[in-house]
Amino acid sequence: MIHLPKEETKLMVAVHGWSGILLGLLLYAVVITGMAAVFAEEIGAWSAGHVETQSAFERPFDKAVRELGARTPAKYHEGVDLFEIGDHNLGAFFHRHETDPDGKFVSRGIYYQLDRDGRIEQELHGTGEEVFQPRNDDALSHFLIDTHVRLHVPDPWGLLLTGILGLAMLVAAISGLLIHRHLFKDIFTLRRKANPVLVDRDRHSVAGTWSLPFAFILAFTGSFFSFFGTIGVPIVAMAAFGGDVQALNDAVFGNPAKPDARPVAVGNLDRIAADSIQRAGGPPIFVAVENYGRADAMVTSFHDPKAGAIEPMTLLYNGTTAEFDRAKPSIGTRPSAGGTLAAIMSPLHFGNFAGLLSKAVWFGLGFAMCYVTLTGLRLWLVRRREAGRALAWLERTVAVVGFGLPLALVVAAAAFLVAMPAGSAVFWTPTAFLAASAVAILGGILMRSADAISRLLQIATGAIMLVLPALRLATGGPGWGQAIGAGQPVIAALDLAFMVAGLWMLWRVFGAHRRRDDLPLSANLQAAE
Amino acid sequence: MSPTSRKWLRVFFAGPGAVIIAMVVMAGMALWLPRGAAQIDNLVLPLVLVPLIWAALFFHACLDRRLGRVAIVAIGLLLIHGGLVAHKFMNRPPAAGEQAK
Repeated sequence: MIHLPKEETKLMVAVHGWSGILLGLLLYAVVITGMAAVFAEEIGAWSAGHVETQSAFERPFDKAVRELGARTPAKYHEGVDLFEIGDHNLGAFFHRHETDPDGKFVSRGIYYQLDRDGRIEQELHGTGEEVFQPRNDDALSHFLIDTHVRLHVPDPWGLLLTGILGLAMLVAAISGLLIHRHLFKDIFTLRRKANPVLVDRDRHSVAGTWSLPFAFILAFTGSFFSFFGTIGVPIVAMAAFGGDVQALNDAVFGNPAKPDARPVAVGNLDRIAADSIQRAGGPPIFVAVENYGRADAMVTSFHDPKAGAIEPMTLLYNGTTAEFDRAKPSIGTRPSAGGTLAAIMSPLHFGNFAGLLSKAVWFGLGFAMCYVTLTGLRLWLVRRREAGRALAWLERTVAVVGFGLPLALVVAAAAFLVAMPAGSAVFWTPTAFLAASAVAILGGILMRSADAISRLLQIATGAIMLVLPALRLATGGPGWGQAIGAGQPVIAALDLAFMVAGLWMLWRVFGAHRRRDDLPLSANLQAAE
Repeated sequence: MSPTSRKWLRVFFAGPGAVIIAMVVMAGMALWLPRGAAQIDNLVLPLVLVPLIWAALFFHACLDRRLGRVAIVAIGLLLIHGGLVAHKFMNRPPAAGEQAK
């Protein structure tokens, strides 16, 4: 345990409080959407009724890619990215790297979206940023991820904002550790029958202490991702390569080989996929072809970590003969400290290194962090009120954001379910979110009591959560029997999770917590302490 | 120096100062860190470590009672890493067009 002198402890308490107060609500928005985004893939399958379980890389796709290569101008053969879209269909982005007139490094090319039979469903031309937009069947998961990553603020400002929020969380986590005088005692102190404010403080402290290492990891990895492309890469490229971002990318991610521009047909991609599945124990999540159709072509397949490992697996193949070359680190050509550290940032942030189990743990700890952020804000407000400096507007704001945001998210999910069959989910998902947010904000303006707003928003959220499974079925989603029979039990599991969460929210308002919630928030803190 | 000036100086080192110095240290580190087995450690480690460098500078500026030491560490890091980057740019071979002249 760290024992700081009194003055420094006081300063750390102020730093901890103000880092939360100034950015706490935005941080809460990032954490709650991140918590949901842990299950983005599962939410995508649940919401769009995807029951296919076989990866696009487990079905023949070589012929389709070859046909795409033949119709794509050779200038876009510099790189081909292959990945899954929709219900395990294939997406292919033929592109080249270039620098925009404003000096921005971009990938420009043609993005093909294929159907299950390998036919072109859609063809989009432009930069990666332009073509990778939400689709009708992934609008909900795309919306969740976009909110978490950049709060819908245009690049680079959105990423910079979430990066700054990550740093604020880092400050809150470290200062939280420094101000704990009795760290181990605090982990287990939960006085259930004490004064409500003391109960709140105990819960904040217990949830905060248990999730402290997690908060540190998330803040560190999150700010790394936000600053990596926006600030980090341009600065390091400037220092090491005179500003040449492509040279930095080649050094870090490339597979250096002697250039050979002779035209040679690409090797059999089905054979590469089958071999990579056997070696990695699962299908690739991403396949990259460098120098498609040239003698120096290379194919890299990226896989989730093997059971018991934390670092993702990457396999390299000769692009013309389809022969296995070697297993390589995700970053760099040989294992190195920097490459390993950078490679584990992603599984540490997304919690996907041990399948659903690690995702569930990450979700639970994310929930604990939302709880810590919200109770921290409420405790700070109670202290202000006790000191005769009440901030009624901030109390209402905390209630509107704290409980209005989950409401807006479930309303967006409901709107997606209704709009997707009509093909208008891309428009209605964010629109419904904004409409629900506007209603919550209006409630905050019109209603004078923060407790009443909180209660109303929780009732609405709980009720919509209860309705979501029925809505999914009514709008054509697969039933439990069909989903489980097709090997997608996650659809039934999410239905159950929504119903349990909805019931729990309603129980919180009407049930066991009613007596406690009826007590005014401004119960005597001094007496509690 | 008055307590108010000292307070604002500390705020400067913990706030904008920590951000600027973390950026300059990230750039400079790429030039002195060992390249490692894969020849990329000097490029990747500064990118990964920059949030921690910022946090270290922030908490040092907050918690070190001797403001002079805060200033020496911060300005020292700034000068060393800024100097390394400046040296690299000054020693850069001239572009083809400039050579022709």
